[in-house]
Amino acid sequence: MTALLVKAMADLRRRKLQAAVIFITTLLAAGTGTMTLSLLAQTRDPWQAAFDAQRGAHLRVNFDSRTAVAALAGTASHLGATAFSGPYSATAVQFQSGANKYNVTAIGRDNPGGDVSQLRITGGRWPKGSGEIALTRSFADLNHISIGERLKVLSVPDQPVLTLTGEVVDINALRADVGGVQNAWVPSSAVAALTGRGTSLYLMDYRFAGNPTSAQLQAHLHALRGALPPGGVTSTVDYIFARTVFHISTLILTGVLVAFSVFALLATAAIVANLVTGIVISGYREIGIMKAVGFTPLQVVGVFVLQVAIPAAAACVVGIPAGTVLSQPLLASNSQALGLAYEPSFSPTLDLLALAGALGIVIIAALIPAFRAGLLKPAVVIANATAPRGQSGRWLRRLADRARLPRPAVLGLGEAAARPARGVLTLLAIFLGVATVVVALGETRSFNEIYTYEAHSGSVDVVVMRSPALSDADTARLISSQPETARVVAETNANISVPGIADPVATLGFRGDSAALGYYVVGGRWFNGPGEVVAPRSLVQDAHLKIGDSFKGAVQGTPVTLRVVGEVYDFTGGPGGHLLMIDSSTIAAAAPDLAPSTYRVTLKPRSNVNAYVRRLAAAQPDLLDVQANGTGNTSFLTVIGGVLFAIAAIIALIAAAGVFNTLLLNTRERLRDTATLKALGMSPRQVVGMVASSAGFLALMGGIVAVPAGVVLYRLLFDQLSLLGGSPTPAPFYDVFAPWELVAIPLGGVMVAVAAAVIPGRWAARTNVVEVLHAE
Amino acid sequence: MNTELVRLTDVTKVYQGGITGALNGVSVTVEEGEFTAIMGPSGSGKSTMLNLVAGLDRPTSGSVFVRGTDLAKEGEAGLATFRRDHIGFVFQFFNLLPNLTALENVLLPAQLKGNTAKVRAGELLDRLGIAEVADRYPARLSGGQQQRVAMARALVNKPTLLLADEPTGALDTQSGEHVMDLVAQLHREGQTVLLVTHDAKLATRHAERVISVIDGRIVDDARLESPERAPSEVIRVRGEEAAR
Amino acid sequence: MSLKYGVLGLLKEQPLHGYEVKNRFEAMLGGTWEVNIGQIYTTLQRLERDGLVRPVGPRGDRGKLLYELSAEGQRALDEWLIQPDSGPQQLHEDIYVKLLLATRIANGNLQEMLARQKRTYLQRLRDLNRLEKRARSEGRVDLARLVRGALLHAEADLKWMDELSSERFEVEATE
Repeated sequence: MTALLVKAMADLRRRKLQAAVIFITTLLAAGTGTMTLSLLAQTRDPWQAAFDAQRGAHLRVNFDSRTAVAALAGTASHLGATAFSGPYSATAVQFQSGANKYNVTAIGRDNPGGDVSQLRITGGRWPKGSGEIALTRSFADLNHISIGERLKVLSVPDQPVLTLTGEVVDINALRADVGGVQNAWVPSSAVAALTGRGTSLYLMDYRFAGNPTSAQLQAHLHALRGALPPGGVTSTVDYIFARTVFHISTLILTGVLVAFSVFALLATAAIVANLVTGIVISGYREIGIMKAVGFTPLQVVGVFVLQVAIPAAAACVVGIPAGTVLSQPLLASNSQALGLAYEPSFSPTLDLLALAGALGIVIIAALIPAFRAGLLKPAVVIANATAPRGQSGRWLRRLADRARLPRPAVLGLGEAAARPARGVLTLLAIFLGVATVVVALGETRSFNEIYTYEAHSGSVDVVVMRSPALSDADTARLISSQPETARVVAETNANISVPGIADPVATLGFRGDSAALGYYVVGGRWFNGPGEVVAPRSLVQDAHLKIGDSFKGAVQGTPVTLRVVGEVYDFTGGPGGHLLMIDSSTIAAAAPDLAPSTYRVTLKPRSNVNAYVRRLAAAQPDLLDVQANGTGNTSFLTVIGGVLFAIAAIIALIAAAGVFNTLLLNTRERLRDTATLKALGMSPRQVVGMVASSAGFLALMGGIVAVPAGVVLYRLLFDQLSLLGGSPTPAPFYDVFAPWELVAIPLGGVMVAVAAAVIPGRWAARTNVVEVLHAE
Repeated sequence: MNTELVRLTDVTKVYQGGITGALNGVSVTVEEGEFTAIMGPSGSGKSTMLNLVAGLDRPTSGSVFVRGTDLAKEGEAGLATFRRDHIGFVFQFFNLLPNLTALENVLLPAQLKGNTAKVRAGELLDRLGIAEVADRYPARLSGGQQQRVAMARALVNKPTLLLADEPTGALDTQSGEHVMDLVAQLHREGQTVLLVTHDAKLATRHAERVISVIDGRIVDDARLESPERAPSEVIRVRGEEAAR
Repeated sequence: MSLKYGVLGLLKEQPLHGYEVKNRFEAMLGGTWEVNIGQIYTTLQRLERDGLVRPVGPRGDRGKLLYELSAEGQRALDEWLIQPDSGPQQLHEDIYVKLLLATRIANGNLQEMLARQKRTYLQRLRDLNRLEKRARSEGRVDLARLVRGALLHAEADLKWMDELSSERFEVEATE
């Protein structure tokens, strides 16, 4: 064993560059792999732990305000719930903080504790008096509202001011950055003063024995609806949904990381195999001598494996702790969202697993060529002194010849294919590098497309939200009177019950040219007039409807006949997200007291959006919230984008290192041939051209295959991510690559390869012919 | 009077770390059509002289003129072109490119120039008796065959100078004789040849001029004659009786 | 000795007249050893005296005596053939003494002498090469072999000159 170590270390000292390449690639692969493993291992824990600790509600139900309170209290035993809290009186509230206006549901609750759905106070204290309010921590963080701040309520005429006294974590709530209306809490006595017209509701939380399944919860809900008058139950959230939504961003991130870690490991394996093959080939004669001296075949294998394993092990020692440390912020973000203190936990088992995995892959990649070395017969090897080279480059040379390429290019191309195994491995590295760049680009662009789509970035310039204190007519008149206003679509929120769907479905009623908003129609068409409705696929499927079907729905209890004329794409609906879009006249006919509260304004071309916003806001500072249209919260997008590109850069680096290494090996091996060519009259420039042709060819081949493959992979990955989001993404969102880009990417790869070839090329061009050819 | 092809003037070559130079003030001229052998023990500098004439190396001092061109004035690219166009080099260990067939190896110097020389290459292979192995790779050729391929490669561009550095060093006697007979034939047809060898039998068999180099200096520059001689003028065999 | 045994060997093939012996001997050696007839007859007489050959037929006209090998002669020949050439290396040429003198004499110009000797050797080699070529082209393989031996000897002498030239001689003055 000592002899093995001595030889391996001596070899390593001589091959510093290759040791460095192994170190770097393994470091990167081990680091990303560890991060992925950490995320995979710890994904589900924090939420469930918090849920159990806070005795979260398995079911949270909103009830219509006309429901009898007394009846509500008895529902718990009717359902067989082991515990319940509520009924709470609540109301929709709009308030202003700084320049922004927000909508929350204010719930009257005196005690954050209790049997069910405890609220964990993460800052400040529970509101005591009528001028105090508590918000969810995620909401406060997202909108930079701090404790002590005074918030002016706009949704009731006398506009009371509330002070934020506390921040809480509500385990049943969805995170503020995911969307939806957040909950807030006030003392139960304060609810009445905050209640406007038609905004009140009741709320109850139920907890059951064990961990009920979705089906069981549905059954409970069904029983609940049966026990109350129709329309009594307005909306429900079950804990499974809350959990899924909580984890969704992590799931996406983890999915992406897994895919990319696999890529990184594959790239590392390819490079290691390439490296060791090169070392074996260049050390051919030495192997024969080793065997003549007395190394057994296994010992020869051992020497090569050790040369690779030592730098790889060193890289793991650095990379695995680094990966663990780097994964902490990602893991912490989940706990922090729950208001839990994050305790960094290091699982030695995990780290050992990562070590075994990374080292294992490296060693296996090295074993195959190393075994070949072990099996060589000493006499043959010493006599040959260099590995016999195949003639596989021939067909390529012929082709290049016929294409009338200059001779150095022909020779370079032939060389690229001369050793098929090495060529394939290099191609693999290039392929992985280019493909991951393509995938990274594709994913981020598609996500970007979706975010832009959801915000109607293309078609809407300004969003105006109306306080109930200002009338719809006045608002519409004010907007239309602005000279730059080109188009206004007024949006009314309502709930429509649909047969086959348990809860009333959130509905958007549009007044104006709503088709121009840019909703993507997947099938059928947009609605033309009253009675026609479009919906996303999840609703259509769950209601067992097809385009063209009519159904009897109810708006606020008033029956209406509606016909499905089209299917639209909606991402924010989420799994099970139901939505209806309809002409507002249908709603107005059935429920005249409902009026639009949001106005989506499109300005004339070349209008100054900021000036418009300022002017309109100044006209009614308290009663209107005027904002320029943005893509909304893109923090998730930034994180995903950042991670994707970081990993793509890493893998591209690994690939570039692999190509560089191949070039070095090739030029070293071909030293005699290069010297001969120089003696025959090949100029230095021609030599560089030869090496560059070799590199450029490989890069071109790799790139040509990698780009379409990358596009396919990106689409596959995005399909999977879409499923996580609940509905398949329509085709236009996949159309994110301009044709010139798909051509430019492989060409860019070629340029990188040719640039990388300059260094070994110039080195080869400078070889001293006399020394090389006469040194025997 | 034949044209002067090569002129070395006071050429010295010192290698790094060496106390004595590889060449110490060598001056010599070679005329067109001459067959010159450069002889000396190993380390004497004879190979260095060849390398300097081919532009593969530069002298530390002194000048090297080939065909009237001062090689010192050429850059690497210029020397490469010079070699391509005017020099044919045959090495002791053949130095064929293993990834090319015999024919492809022969065509290489012409292709580096941008010409095709299929016809000439074919003629050379024919003449050297290796036409039937034109499509084989060097690994499947014998030493003698490989050296003949190398010879054809050296000749394909019709070089002014044929330089051979121990061309028979790696060959068995018969192959070696075969190769040298070909060189002699070419010389008879007008090729200027510079042969470096340590084998005196070889040198005197073909060359008419023998330059002896020892320790980087020319110690002799002999022109040999070829008169008809009776055997008894060349050898005398005597038994012990003669001693009495 | 080799003339004597050369004659014995030729007579082993068949009985020969004196002049036939001379012709065949010269032919065998390809012109590299010219003998006169007198030497042949002297040798034959000695051989006859020692009982190794005997005449065939009547003694008469000397020129027409046929000689044949006796049983004794046969045995002597066989013994001689088997015996390897032992004995000291024969250095006949002047160069050896010249060298020894030149290294003694302070004003003997050794390098120039060596160079000139070397040049002579080169010419000798050339001549030997040409002779070998001719011998081969005439199909005289045995002669070619002989010439080859001479070539190698000459090459050895040349190498010796090279070695001497490389040495740094201190003049070994005796006084």
